[in-house]
Amino acid sequence: MRLLRSALVLAGLCALACNAVAEAPAIGAMAPDFQLTTIDGKAFSLSSAAKDHKAVVLMFISTQCPYSNAYNGQMKDLANAFASKGVLFAGINSNKSEDAAAAVAHAKAHGHTFPIMKDPSNKVADMYDARRTPEVYVIDSQGKLRYHGRITENHEDPASSPDLKNALDSFLAGKPIARTETKAFGCTIKRV
Amino acid sequence: MRVPSSRFHVPRSGRAIIALLFISAALTVDARTQSSLAGEIDAAGLRQTLAQQKGRVVLLNFWATWCVPCREEFPELSKLQGKYGATGLQVIGVSTDFAKERAAVGKFLAEQRPSFPNYRKKSGGDDQAFIEAVDSSWGGELPFSVLYDRSGRKVRVFSGSLPVARVEKEVRKLLAAR
Repeated sequence: MRLLRSALVLAGLCALACNAVAEAPAIGAMAPDFQLTTIDGKAFSLSSAAKDHKAVVLMFISTQCPYSNAYNGQMKDLANAFASKGVLFAGINSNKSEDAAAAVAHAKAHGHTFPIMKDPSNKVADMYDARRTPEVYVIDSQGKLRYHGRITENHEDPASSPDLKNALDSFLAGKPIARTETKAFGCTIKRV
Repeated sequence: MRVPSSRFHVPRSGRAIIALLFISAALTVDARTQSSLAGEIDAAGLRQTLAQQKGRVVLLNFWATWCVPCREEFPELSKLQGKYGATGLQVIGVSTDFAKERAAVGKFLAEQRPSFPNYRKKSGGDDQAFIEAVDSSWGGELPFSVLYDRSGRKVRVFSGSLPVARVEKEVRKLLAAR
């Protein structure tokens, strides 16, 4: 009996550990749903946002990472350009080293008007197995993952192959996305 | 009136010896410190540079001037190169600073005077190709280091600050394996 109890405790611990960092959702699979609060105090639910839009682009971002900051202009431009096409861009800051006040100041400094959320205890980053900033995920209105990876081919060159834009253009045109997964080049998400 | 060329007269043979000493000292400094960028490097260049090191144990380190742990561990890399360079270790540094940060990179190297060559990741190109040339598990996070044995085989990757004592132990082991 004692053995059985120990085994159950161990199994429970393993389950907790296994859930700590989930596997990255596969392309075409349901993206994990979550609820967070935006830095301006509004509730954000992925499933609701997805239902209300043709697609949602989740961007794991940072206030300090130079690679992420190199994309500030593009994030703003893409969010504005695709808003009229029914695509919502949303930023998630999962870095433990960057607080809500820093996220607010950063958004203001760079003119980011898309929703930005702090991800306390990096739970959403864990759900998506997001490792870097910037790292993006495109989720369709059914909640399925359509693209995962980088914004452009080269982090230093905004004119390089625009992988995220290409993915969105294809998706909105009802065409297959040529590259559904790319590798994001960026800073590690600083987890708790 | 005859104007002396110098306050002290040095015979011609002595001048030659002094000149040789200067050249020798300059070469020694060059061999010990490499206080400027060796060049810019892309995926192909990195593969070529690594291939040229066959026969040596290589510690490849990625850093940037804005990365605090990178700056902190940088002197340790120089120490490793100084300690084991003669027996076959080659440390190679690659900065991932942006092109606009070239001056900061130059200043950092001039201050640090590393005992190993340093390159800057070339601007442009496909990030993914560069990642694959380094290690598929890498994605730009810093510091990041890769240890290769004398045959050029990748032995270990280190994401984050280098565990220096462990690395030194591994380097010694790889240097001993001939």
